[in-house]
Amino acid sequence: MKAGLFIATAVLYALACILYLFVLTRGSDKAQRMPGTVFVAALGAHLAFLLLEAPPGELPLSDISQILSISSFGIGIAFLLASYRFDVTILGAFVAPLSLMLFLASGLGSSYAPVPPKVQSVMLTLHIGANVIGLVAFALAFVAAIAYTLQERLLRRRQLSGAFQRLPSLDVLDTMGLRAVLVGFPLLTFGMITGTFWLLRSGGSEFFVSQALGLVAWAIFAGVIVLRVAAGWRGRKAALGTMMGFVFTLLVLAGYALRAVGGSA
Amino acid sequence: MMRDFVVVGLSHRTAPVEVRERLAVAPDHLEQELRAIAANGRFDEALLISTCNRVELYATSTSPAEAAQSAKDTLVTRLPDAVPDDVLYQERGVDVVRHVFRVASSLDSLVVGEPQILGQVKEAFDAARGAGTMGTLLGRCFTQAFATAKRVRSETGIAEGTVSVSSIACELAKKIFGNLEGRRTLLLGAGEMGESAARSLRQTGTQLHVVNRSEERARTLAESCGGRAVPFERLTMELADADVVIASTASSKFILTPELMKGVVRTRRHRPLFIIDIAVPRDVDPRVGNMDNVFVYDVDDLQQVAEENLAVRTREAAQAERIVEEEVQSFVSWRRSLELAPTIVALRKRFGQIAQEELQRALPRLEDLSQSDRAVLEAMGRSLVNKLLHQPMTQLKADAAEPDGALLIDAVRRLFALSEEESPQSEASTAGGTEAKVTQLAAAATGPTGESK
Repeated sequence: MKAGLFIATAVLYALACILYLFVLTRGSDKAQRMPGTVFVAALGAHLAFLLLEAPPGELPLSDISQILSISSFGIGIAFLLASYRFDVTILGAFVAPLSLMLFLASGLGSSYAPVPPKVQSVMLTLHIGANVIGLVAFALAFVAAIAYTLQERLLRRRQLSGAFQRLPSLDVLDTMGLRAVLVGFPLLTFGMITGTFWLLRSGGSEFFVSQALGLVAWAIFAGVIVLRVAAGWRGRKAALGTMMGFVFTLLVLAGYALRAVGGSA
Repeated sequence: MMRDFVVVGLSHRTAPVEVRERLAVAPDHLEQELRAIAANGRFDEALLISTCNRVELYATSTSPAEAAQSAKDTLVTRLPDAVPDDVLYQERGVDVVRHVFRVASSLDSLVVGEPQILGQVKEAFDAARGAGTMGTLLGRCFTQAFATAKRVRSETGIAEGTVSVSSIACELAKKIFGNLEGRRTLLLGAGEMGESAARSLRQTGTQLHVVNRSEERARTLAESCGGRAVPFERLTMELADADVVIASTASSKFILTPELMKGVVRTRRHRPLFIIDIAVPRDVDPRVGNMDNVFVYDVDDLQQVAEENLAVRTREAAQAERIVEEEVQSFVSWRRSLELAPTIVALRKRFGQIAQEELQRALPRLEDLSQSDRAVLEAMGRSLVNKLLHQPMTQLKADAAEPDGALLIDAVRRLFALSEEESPQSEASTAGGTEAKVTQLAAAATGPTGESK
């Protein structure tokens, strides 16, 4: 049952990816709604999977596999909400692969060790929760940044048919990227502070690499925000900064995952 | 007699604008005009399409040749004297149907794929309905034309991509700035193409500022485009405040140099700037296009986009023509199902078949029948069929030519379950051929009964 649901979810995500990419590159009016429908179906299957997997009465945040899974789900939901606010449904072409990737990574996690009971606390749930929501926000910023970079490239190279026609305007993408970073940054900051607290308590060794990577991500996003607000940075450079920041955020997760695998081996 | 379609008209293909504008009818006069045309002409139904690129009178009549002449006369009287009447074209029968479908799908437009024509055809349709000059045949034909146009738009890329330099400039601006409402366009110089691009942008809701070395010129231009004239000395400041710049001066040197623009970009805090360089020779140093958040398109770029879009449309037009052909065939088969001749043939065939079947069933039960007895029985069967069919056939023949004849035929086909497949007509049959056949068949149907009287 669980395995079947996992496969069904993965297949639906993959199908949504293909359909989104098809619509982005050579879509006709007729096919436009299909990928969205499939993506929503994938989210439905994913939700069922989360409910099936979660320990009763708890948030499914107890190990890195669950964190990856719920991040993937959160990105999908946040994207659906964002497509109401901005007219950006086509960005599913970037969101769906990201969701799929994180979801598949969560599936590798049968070998991931759960968080040791001695560090479990309300504070930990808040730490993880804030970081997950922050990650979701940065993921949207990342998607907007990728789309911005691609769209700007197409505009500069005068390739104005196909994808250029279907992607949102540069202004919308830039605004979306900025807002998502502004939402994610305080959450990441909170996550960093709570993380440092554990780092110090554990004597500085246990999660050092992840914490260091997190600090780099934090610094990059801080830089992006400061330059945007103070120096009027926008467009391509801001998009590149956002993309780099997100990559480091993912590295933090990868760090935890590798540690978990290594720890249990 | 079969009712048939005619169209007489002129379009951008056959007549220059001076002629077209003489014939054009304003949309709110369409209904009134149509009533007058219908009152004088020999039409069963009439519909008038009038746009700046075409004026066409569609009609149906049981005597299409006369109707075509009448329609032609109607239009010729409106032509200026010096114009030869070969600017008018006419079509008959199924070619009219194809023509309407192509017109509504924007395949016959000056700019293939332009979207306005469908609305204009719908206006014509409403006017004809309002004037009471539209019956079943034109009604069905135009309704299917709208469906065809919709199919063409959704199944082909014929309407994709804009093809005029001004509208491409607008589209690009939208792709950069999203909503153009409240943005500012700066028109630099007084070239004609620049002016038209500025007008297009103005229509999308941007403010317009005009800068020119001659302040006089700037003022007239600003007035005609609904913008504001600004002195040339303020150029740098205006550049810092604008979102879209249309450069179209006659200057032989670059006006927007990297040195100038570096300061401008700093002042505007990196807000995106879209520069359209329509001037030849160019006003904008190409190096400006490499600056962050500054996008420069020159006239060649825009022209190239226009050509690419046009090429896409032309490719898509072939696909659209196939859709039109499919729809024409579907209309023709609907039409044929309502024709008199095949209906009569099918009806006779159905009745004859029943008589034959009953005869086959009865004969084995009768013993010792001579050859002549058999002949009598067979003759009786035939005669029964003929007598039963005589009155309906006569009535059908008489009423088929009436405006609602098609409905009667439709009713007969349904009452006796005559499906379309049974129709023995070949596709190639022309209107004239059909008429001859009808007479012949009707005679065949009623003839024997006549003789037996």
